[in-house]
Amino acid sequence: MDLATNLQMVTAGLAMGSIYALVALGFVLIFNAVGVVNFAQGEFVMVPAFVAVWLMDVLHLPFPLTYLVTVIFMGVFGIVFQRIAYYPLRNRTFLPVIIATIGVSIFLKNGAQIVFGAEPQLMHRPTPPDVLNLSGVFVDPQYIVIIVCTLGLLVFQYFFFEKTSLGKKMQATAQDKDMARLLGIRVATMIAITFAYSSILGAAAGILVGPIFYVTKEMGGMLGLKAFCSTIVGGFGNVQGAVLGGIFLGVVEVFAAYYVSSAYRDAFAFIILILVLLFRPQGFFGEKIAEKA
Amino acid sequence: MLKVTGIETWYGAIQALKGVSLDVKQGEIVALLGANGAGKSTTIKTITGMLKPAKGTIEFLGQDITGMEAEDIADIGIACVPEGRRIFPGLSVMDNLMLGATPRKNPTKAELDQDLERVFHLFPILKEFKDRLGWQLSGGQQQMLAIGRGLMSHAKLLLLDEPSLGLAPVLVQEVFRVIKQIREAGTTIFLVEQNARMALLIADRGYVLETGRMKLTDTAVKLLANEDMKAHYLGGHTKAITDRRRASRPSA
Amino acid sequence: MTPRNVKPLLGIGLALVVIAFPMLVQSSYWLNLVNLAISFSVACLGLNIVLGYAGQLSLAQASFWGVGAYTSALLTVNYHLPVWLGLPAAFLVAALFGIMLGIPTLKLTGHYLAMATIGFGIILQLILINAIWLTGGSDGIPKIPSPWIGSLELKDPSKFFFVAAIMLILMTWASMRIKDSRVGRAFFAIQGNEMAAETTGVDSTYYKVMAFALSAGYGGVGGWLFAHSGSHYISPDTFSFDQSVMFLAMAVLGGNGSAIGSIVGATLLTLVPEILRFLKDYYMMVYAAGIVIVMIFMPGGIAGLVRTFNISQKLQTWWQASSRAVVQAAHEAGTPAANLLPPVAAAPHGDGTLLTVRGLAKHFGGLKAVDGVDMAVRRGEIQALIGPNGSGKTTIINMLSGLYVPSAGDILLDGGNITGRKPHVITTHGVARTFQNIRLFGELTALDNVMIGQHSRTRTGLFGSVLQGGSQRAEEAAMREKALKVLDFVGLRGQEFAQAKSLPYGRQRVLELARALVSEPKLLLLDEPAAGLNATETEALLDLLFQVRDHGITILLVEHDMSLVMNVSDHITVLNFGKKIAEGNAEAIQKNQEVIDAYLGTEVGNA
Repeated sequence: MDLATNLQMVTAGLAMGSIYALVALGFVLIFNAVGVVNFAQGEFVMVPAFVAVWLMDVLHLPFPLTYLVTVIFMGVFGIVFQRIAYYPLRNRTFLPVIIATIGVSIFLKNGAQIVFGAEPQLMHRPTPPDVLNLSGVFVDPQYIVIIVCTLGLLVFQYFFFEKTSLGKKMQATAQDKDMARLLGIRVATMIAITFAYSSILGAAAGILVGPIFYVTKEMGGMLGLKAFCSTIVGGFGNVQGAVLGGIFLGVVEVFAAYYVSSAYRDAFAFIILILVLLFRPQGFFGEKIAEKA
Repeated sequence: MLKVTGIETWYGAIQALKGVSLDVKQGEIVALLGANGAGKSTTIKTITGMLKPAKGTIEFLGQDITGMEAEDIADIGIACVPEGRRIFPGLSVMDNLMLGATPRKNPTKAELDQDLERVFHLFPILKEFKDRLGWQLSGGQQQMLAIGRGLMSHAKLLLLDEPSLGLAPVLVQEVFRVIKQIREAGTTIFLVEQNARMALLIADRGYVLETGRMKLTDTAVKLLANEDMKAHYLGGHTKAITDRRRASRPSA
Repeated sequence: MTPRNVKPLLGIGLALVVIAFPMLVQSSYWLNLVNLAISFSVACLGLNIVLGYAGQLSLAQASFWGVGAYTSALLTVNYHLPVWLGLPAAFLVAALFGIMLGIPTLKLTGHYLAMATIGFGIILQLILINAIWLTGGSDGIPKIPSPWIGSLELKDPSKFFFVAAIMLILMTWASMRIKDSRVGRAFFAIQGNEMAAETTGVDSTYYKVMAFALSAGYGGVGGWLFAHSGSHYISPDTFSFDQSVMFLAMAVLGGNGSAIGSIVGATLLTLVPEILRFLKDYYMMVYAAGIVIVMIFMPGGIAGLVRTFNISQKLQTWWQASSRAVVQAAHEAGTPAANLLPPVAAAPHGDGTLLTVRGLAKHFGGLKAVDGVDMAVRRGEIQALIGPNGSGKTTIINMLSGLYVPSAGDILLDGGNITGRKPHVITTHGVARTFQNIRLFGELTALDNVMIGQHSRTRTGLFGSVLQGGSQRAEEAAMREKALKVLDFVGLRGQEFAQAKSLPYGRQRVLELARALVSEPKLLLLDEPAAGLNATETEALLDLLFQVRDHGITILLVEHDMSLVMNVSDHITVLNFGKKIAEGNAEAIQKNQEVIDAYLGTEVGNA
């Protein structure tokens, strides 16, 4: 296979991987903060995609305003979600919480169908529709937007968590809620902010991926599951691991679909997941959990 | 300063405290002693608002704080160094210390630096390791960090839960030396300890808790001399049961 | 009325309901739905075994359901085998897939396990779609035959209903029998606390795989019911992740751990959407909102709700009447407690060495928790292991009981090498233990806890648990009797049916001791048995320890309560920083300067 094709596939893989990474980050931030695996994370991508399409098609808002409104909407959405699906169940075992998030996921899928219709919709592209010819390598400009925006968000996130006092308090809350309370940190507020931010990451993913996929009520399902795979492959609960795991799965998936079998495209992420669980359960970047009785 | 009256606290169906009363006066070191499971940590958790008492009241500086949220109790000037240190493992020593200052209202940078210097003066090792992550510290260093973090809030009352637990004897002495210094600098201290002798050597007064009830209270000096205390909590054991042991033993 | 004479009545009633049902309903549409609900119910009964009994979360139940459906459909359509033969095939092939999922995921728990099972399900569905040569691909398999009885084809939903109903009753009956058997108790022990289950003698690997296999087999039978009824057509998109989620929702809605609850949950979630159809487009939203609301407001599912209204409690109490009668009889017989302890070869006091430890070490990364310890425990003695926190006492207990594999050194019990063996094997060899922070099976009764303690001394397997022949019943009765006696011995008479976690702290400690004693140990390891006990309870414990010792059971105990240690111990070993610093009798240890410095402390005036 020639170099140009491979490079094209790397770009596509990185773009897809970036989307997985954004959703995976949303997963990990919520998991670290409250120990809940949110099975509605994929719907955190589907909902903003529909909202953005609606803002553009029905209200005819320009791109920047659409994006801004979508992000704000999803911030509020995250806080409402946490009040409904997490807060009432915060002292319970993980099973009811998982089922509650699954319930919300079904609710959102069918709600989206009622509000926005059953037809797949197309989101307007902020980028020109023609592929770019970069000396023989043909690349969809939207891919480049996806990769650059994801990088930008990651840099923002790094500074937010590592350099601001609010970020530190959120980390402290994630690491030890009781101790954080003893230090006067408003734990409930920190958790609400975490959900809002996780949901905003979903908004970013939805806006970015919308123009290259059809926007449908099912678009979040597989995306959410693969993002969850990314978090485990990278090392569960590890923020860098989630990002790298997502990008790794995105690239591997594109190559495996091309070289191995496109029919099994959706299986590769899970095959890698099971292999990782068997041979390196702590993930690529996870610390080995010390044995303790 | 702190006045606890008749608190009863439950863990689900189990009553851990069955009416505990105690008080701590400004500038004192008061020790709370007792066996494992006697309810010492529960008492601390009830004072800090992590557990809500079913009965009884807690007053701090004349204000009724019974049933207040832990965050709010931290804000009004009670700091806690909990059992097991509870360092944030993924944050640096510096970050851990700075988070300790959360309850303070808009401290200036100069004030914070001054507080940091004070902590580093008490525990020089923390300055050396200020960029290390919490989990990279040894048990003793973590204990020092936990106490240092507790000091950063300028609390009027510092609660220490088992500061000697799991530390080598030489470190225990070090920690107790610092506790005395902290009191000399003006912070009131309420100390929970299993190591009764060490605690009483630095305390002004002591309370002894047994299965959720206050069994004994006195000045530290008198408790150290108390025969019952010697038998149960201070080592130097009696031979009371030895006879029965011999009797029950099958003929050798 | 007693449970015994009500059982046949129940059976007759059930049979009448089954026979009358199709006549009452008549509508093929509703009968087909009921048949579908039964197929879902059987799959949920399976999920209830792996999740509700053994506590392992599986999100692949739709896959096993699909494996069963495809197995039987392919055998009957392509190879024209009789439909009845498809039934055992569906069970076995699905169970095989269950084992295939169970073995690689043994070490996983919680979210990891959930994700691995999801991945398994998605891969399987993709295979169903893409392995066209075998499965027919996304077109699915049409025209699946119905079962025949002689020349009667059971095609009409009112006829197939009898097949479905009989299968449901059989499968429910089997799952309830399993629940209340040695095997079921092993499942619940794993769910309650896997570490404690292992040290109590339960081979958790074996039982976890068994739970997966059983649950998959049930799924397979459910799939068989699905393939040969309704539309007589199957295709890959039915056996999706969403369907697995639905099974989970059904099982949890019904009430985790309850067989009847699973059936109720499955039936409700099959029928409710149909009833909600008048809501048109909104029905799925209402349905989903319903699931969330149930999770928030009904923690225990429907079974839990029934329990809160005390209905099931009363039923259960009544049902247990027969067991209570046994307890009563045992108490009235008034056998002296002293005769009730397991007969251990009554070795004379202080005769030879039972346990020898040589050069034992355990390193965690750079930390040498235990660093080359030699010690011997003499038969029939009480030996104590003391030292400061972090000196390695519990680590040694963990190695002796098999929870940790030593980094170096040997552990010899009665001359046999048990170094690095699995905890349940070591239990079988005659070592039992208790934990510093009590590890009971909190949701189970005191009696069940102690019956699980006999796991390593009993044999009833899966088939025995279902069939319950004479020898199994005799074993069960003997276990129960022995458990009651040991409970009596430790002073828990009258609390046999109390839930373990509801007992006061001190009672929980002795219950854990009873669970250990009943496994007939030669060596009993006690990790801080007096922690949290008040003076009176400690006194009682002291008496108990002497009695146990007098029955010929050797005791090694870790303890901080020095008055207990000094009074009870024949021999004391002192550790500091993972090394042995002293050993001897109480008098010698109390005078040892190094021990005073490291642990016992001195009256230093200038701290």
